[in-house]
Amino acid sequence: MKPVIKMILIIFLLGISSTLAQSSEVKVRVDGLSCPFCAYGLEKKLNDLDGVESINIDFEEGLVVLQVTNSENISEEEIRTKIEKAGFTPREIVFSGKNEKPDKDD
Amino acid sequence: MLINFKLVSISLLLFVSINLYAQGPPIFTDSPLLLGLEGGGIRTFGKYISTESGQTYIQPLVVPYNVTTDFQIGGIQPYVFRSPNNDESQSGFGNFTLFGKYSIIQIDGRAKTFRALLKYTQTFTTGASNVSVNANASQFSIITGYVTINYGIYGTVGYTFVSSDLPDNLIYSFAFGYPLLPQKYPPFQLNLFLELNGTHTLEVNKHLLFVSPGLQLMTSSTFLIETGVQIPVVDDRNTTKFAYTLGIRFLFF
Repeated sequence: MKPVIKMILIIFLLGISSTLAQSSEVKVRVDGLSCPFCAYGLEKKLNDLDGVESINIDFEEGLVVLQVTNSENISEEEIRTKIEKAGFTPREIVFSGKNEKPDKDD
Repeated sequence: MLINFKLVSISLLLFVSINLYAQGPPIFTDSPLLLGLEGGGIRTFGKYISTESGQTYIQPLVVPYNVTTDFQIGGIQPYVFRSPNNDESQSGFGNFTLFGKYSIIQIDGRAKTFRALLKYTQTFTTGASNVSVNANASQFSIITGYVTINYGIYGTVGYTFVSSDLPDNLIYSFAFGYPLLPQKYPPFQLNLFLELNGTHTLEVNKHLLFVSPGLQLMTSSTFLIETGVQIPVVDDRNTTKFAYTLGIRFLFF
């Protein structure tokens, strides 16, 4: 294999591994989530946070799961503020993946 | 006591005009949740009212705006078509209404919430005289609701002050909502509602109570279509046959 192609391949693999290492999940317990029609505002507010890739809402568990590129860029306080501004009550927030943080109760 | 039938009729029409704007989840009763399609969106719906004296069709445009999480203001502009039995049809803009809602109680739990708010509604005599009531109206109400992912219970009580020597009204509504499909997000929902919507006109002591079944379909988080019929079970004037509603709501910001 030519050295140039090897170099490109190495850079590509490093890029992928770096991205995978930084991607992580934030689980947020949200109280007051009782109807899908009212969750749109919550999705919009959380999407404003830096690095949010996707949002999954589980109504039965009252759980919002954020996939983020790097959870170090998001603070717990920011998440709580966004949820309150959307009209709901934030509870425990758990950072998982590379940047795991301990559970916290209100 | 000699009853002034004209006053009663105008008063009942005023009641219908004010209360049909309480469309949202649920369909005919106001909701204490200032979220999603209840705030920051646009609503319109057609309401067909059949009475002994003729037919009326009302098409309002409702624009609510959430100033804060707890405070919402909005405006309502209806367009009214009237077709009296023994007269020519008439149409024109109805009276403009401003409203404000302020949340006073929010108790959230896992997959449930109890909320209450105060609502003030002011209707102005801006409409065309042939299709509008020539009276200002101020309505104060308290709206409550307990909503879980399995059902929703809503209630409203209020008082309407009416100008121009017309009688005031007491209003009340109760709604029970039941989702026919599992709750998920993004939503695809079919909701069943059974509602009671009543008014008592003071001074002339007349009562009107509708039983209002309805269906609501949400195809996305930003679009909802709903329909319902209001059947009078108590109508002291014996004038209203029924009212049918078909409406949509959508969010665009």
